[in-house]
Amino acid sequence: MTDRAKFIASVTSSLGRSEVLSPSEEAADASTAVFENADTAKANADRAMSDASERSDTLTAQMAAMAATNGWKVHRAGNPEDAADLIASICEQKGAKSVLRSNHDVLSQIGVDSAVTNTGATLGVTEHDGENSEANIQDAKSAAFTADIGITGVDYAIAETGTVVLHPRSGLSRLVSLAPPTHIAVLRSGEVLDSLDELFAMERNDYLSGDLAGSMNLISGPSKTADIEGTTVTGIHGPLEVHLIILENG
Amino acid sequence: MKPQTINFRSKASQTMGDEEVQQAIEHVYTGFFKGRLVAAADTPDWEELRTKGKAIKDHTIAHLDYYLGLLADNVEKNGGSVFFAEDAEEARKHIIDLAHARNIKTVIKSKSMVSEEMALAESLNDEGIETVETDLGEYIIQLANETPYHLIAPAVHKSRKEVAELLDDDFKEGDRVPDATELTMMAREKLRGVFERADMSVTGVNFAVAESGSIALVTNEGNGRMSTTVPRVHVAVMGMEKIIPSIQDLSTMLRILIRSATGQRISTYVTMVNGARKPDEEEGPEEFHLVIMNNGRQKLLADPQMRESLNCIRCGACLNACPVYRKVGGHAYGWVYPGPIGAIVTPVMTGLKDASNLPAASSLCGACHDACPVKINIPRMLLELRYRSAEGSTDSAERTSSASERFVWKSWRIGMMGRKRFDYGAKLARLILRPLARNGWLRKSPPPISGWTSTRDFPLIAAGSLRSRLAKRRKKAKS
Amino acid sequence: MPENPSNPTIPDRVTLFASCMVDQLAPAVGESTVDVLEHLGVTVDFLDDQTCCGQPAFNSGFRSEAFPVATRFIEIFEKVEGPIVVPSGSCAAMVRNFYGDLFRDDERMIGRARNVGDHLYELTEFISSFFGTDAVVGQLSDDATYHKCCHLLREIGIDEQPIEMLSNIDGLNLTPLERDDVCCGFGGAFSVKMPDISSAILDEKLDYIESTGAKTVVAADTGCVYQMQGGLRRRGSDVQVVHIAEILAMSIRNASGAGAKR
Repeated sequence: MTDRAKFIASVTSSLGRSEVLSPSEEAADASTAVFENADTAKANADRAMSDASERSDTLTAQMAAMAATNGWKVHRAGNPEDAADLIASICEQKGAKSVLRSNHDVLSQIGVDSAVTNTGATLGVTEHDGENSEANIQDAKSAAFTADIGITGVDYAIAETGTVVLHPRSGLSRLVSLAPPTHIAVLRSGEVLDSLDELFAMERNDYLSGDLAGSMNLISGPSKTADIEGTTVTGIHGPLEVHLIILENG
Repeated sequence: MKPQTINFRSKASQTMGDEEVQQAIEHVYTGFFKGRLVAAADTPDWEELRTKGKAIKDHTIAHLDYYLGLLADNVEKNGGSVFFAEDAEEARKHIIDLAHARNIKTVIKSKSMVSEEMALAESLNDEGIETVETDLGEYIIQLANETPYHLIAPAVHKSRKEVAELLDDDFKEGDRVPDATELTMMAREKLRGVFERADMSVTGVNFAVAESGSIALVTNEGNGRMSTTVPRVHVAVMGMEKIIPSIQDLSTMLRILIRSATGQRISTYVTMVNGARKPDEEEGPEEFHLVIMNNGRQKLLADPQMRESLNCIRCGACLNACPVYRKVGGHAYGWVYPGPIGAIVTPVMTGLKDASNLPAASSLCGACHDACPVKINIPRMLLELRYRSAEGSTDSAERTSSASERFVWKSWRIGMMGRKRFDYGAKLARLILRPLARNGWLRKSPPPISGWTSTRDFPLIAAGSLRSRLAKRRKKAKS
Repeated sequence: MPENPSNPTIPDRVTLFASCMVDQLAPAVGESTVDVLEHLGVTVDFLDDQTCCGQPAFNSGFRSEAFPVATRFIEIFEKVEGPIVVPSGSCAAMVRNFYGDLFRDDERMIGRARNVGDHLYELTEFISSFFGTDAVVGQLSDDATYHKCCHLLREIGIDEQPIEMLSNIDGLNLTPLERDDVCCGFGGAFSVKMPDISSAILDEKLDYIESTGAKTVVAADTGCVYQMQGGLRRRGSDVQVVHIAEILAMSIRNASGAGAKR
């Protein structure tokens, strides 16, 4: 017997059985979603997306308020140029010398590159030449750890919790939102989900259609800790300052 | 971690006499406990969420064998590896072997109580592999060479000065004590380089999702994210009970975990890892390993009276609510899990014989049951363990009640089995104690109640039971 | 769990379950309980044979000793048809919520226990459910505060009702107690077996009591009353701790012109 078989067999006997018993749908109460099939999952996900679109203004307002409570600096941009200007002014305010951005399409849409380089900062895009070489990986890491500001797009936001959701993209979007002391996230209106229920409905649907990303990060404010005397301090390992730019009519 | 449950009374006494620690522990009440109440009041369907969370865990544990199989299959489908560890020794050895095999120089650890069961950081360091705790609280106690004091705030007992002594290389006695921000920034500085060079990480698991082979990590600091992004090898360790069936279940479980732990609506970061990085992704660990550990949990599972304790999602709410924990502190419990949850799982997992003081140290106030996001009935299990220690265990070594205690309760029973003897016993007690009493109160008393009068006055048995007084009233009413 | 009827038929006769502690240590609490119930027009019967519900041994793990005492309790009280009233949340909880565990191997006993428990009430629960929290109107000039005994709060579910009842006492100045729902540290035998921890918890409670400036603490369980009074006496404090039955009875006597003011 493999270790696994032995391990699970002893769990089975601890449960007073001699064989693994699959949970039957009727016997289980309705609390876990594990018995919901792919069609239901898709319907839930579709409902979440259409809700996000139909109630875009309300959900965006709720999310913005919650995000501000969480410590996000929330900005509204009426158009792509305003969004780029906001980013430029944050760069100037922070005296940023090196800025890194992920490869999210909203960032090229708003023309962030020239806005940033015009402030005198260098801009790197976290994508590389297609080669996953050790050297490239190390370079990318160092760039993230030395950058002053990291800029990413966002896949969804969540109104209930004031959260932005990032799936990894081609290019390195994880460290860029984590290592630099300032993170700027750009959100397009119409991408705000009501609550965690909707987010995980989307994820479950992705999974059941074979499309689940390698990871997902929910970010709900600046990094913080209260481990010393219960005093909350921001910026322990992740960014000290996080900006959320909401691009209306995006 | 070797259990030191036998030292409960002396460690408790030590903590209760330490004014500084008593003040520090207050934070779990004023911060976490109060925070949970506010968050619960702020969540319109809070009670339904608790009910749902309990149902999800009840269902999962009742089919744990099935879900373990499902989880392992799906982790492997995602390209990860699963190792089933019978005990801490096996788990530790597997991780150390892996680190050697992959030529690991630096390991970063994110918070994991399961890794404390293995004393993992210590063991890796002993092997010459630099292993650094990255959760600030865990980092502080690693520097202090101590074990965690609380499930989610491991260094809650440390004053700012003590932290400065550990963190600040330049700090000397008599210097101004740096504030929390300054100390935190020092830690940020020190750990940044470690993050960058780490080639392996060991994290815990808040929830393992069986249907997709995913794990979810809940953090505020960002060390969980660093651990799941930077190194080339990611090892996640979990107790075998930390499974939930579906991705969708995460919305319920995350809500009740986080709001119960700190009162936040959501932690700063929630990271979902679905195996190692995909072929078309360029960032993240190359390898994902999941270590699933038993280490005595099977005993809880096989025990119908105690099985409910496996529903625990390790939020710490019971600790924050417990008047005993807030006086005796985390270390008194002598093993990895302090507080009410520790008082029920530690005796079963490490042995009731040496740990009988843990379930005994409770006023049965029920605040833990009230606080638990999945409604675990801890008081019922404390009573069950007391029963086993007193007389109920089939293992005679576990029946640790003293002859004098058994005699006391036998005498009590005899005295309660008839009204005449009940009254007579009371009269006799009054006779014996009256010389010790002033104005109806005793300042000193004989065993078995002498413990009381060490710190409080005790009332003298009344002159005339209620029965006799009511009988007199009836007589008077008739005349 | 007894029903708390929204439209109850008001009972005119109940049977008193004293509790062993009230019977032999604090009979005045029992007498006050009778006084309050009679004031509400209820006749109170007392079964002379009663002793104890068995909780002390059960809580200490000595179920074999608790079993016969609890069985005797059931035998005595199952003869009662009307409501059974006890001035103790922890004794009420033992019968209603913990007899199931004590008798767990015996279906028949569980049934008999449930039958008794179905019409067994703690005193403030009984008054507030059947008569309302404004039924007892009294007079007593004092500065008081109320401590929420744990079993009454968490096992029986009585929270603010006793405070509402105390608010009906004319002249009683009630100050809210900070952390009023945190345990006083009694816990039965725990108070004697681990006196250091019990007293450490008590100290915090007494500090909060003293900071209210109240002269009287009111609580609904005798064990807690003695834990707090014993501790206050030991620290030289004049603050008095009384059972809610006693203060209600005193206030009724004052209002009727009989009995001294506090």
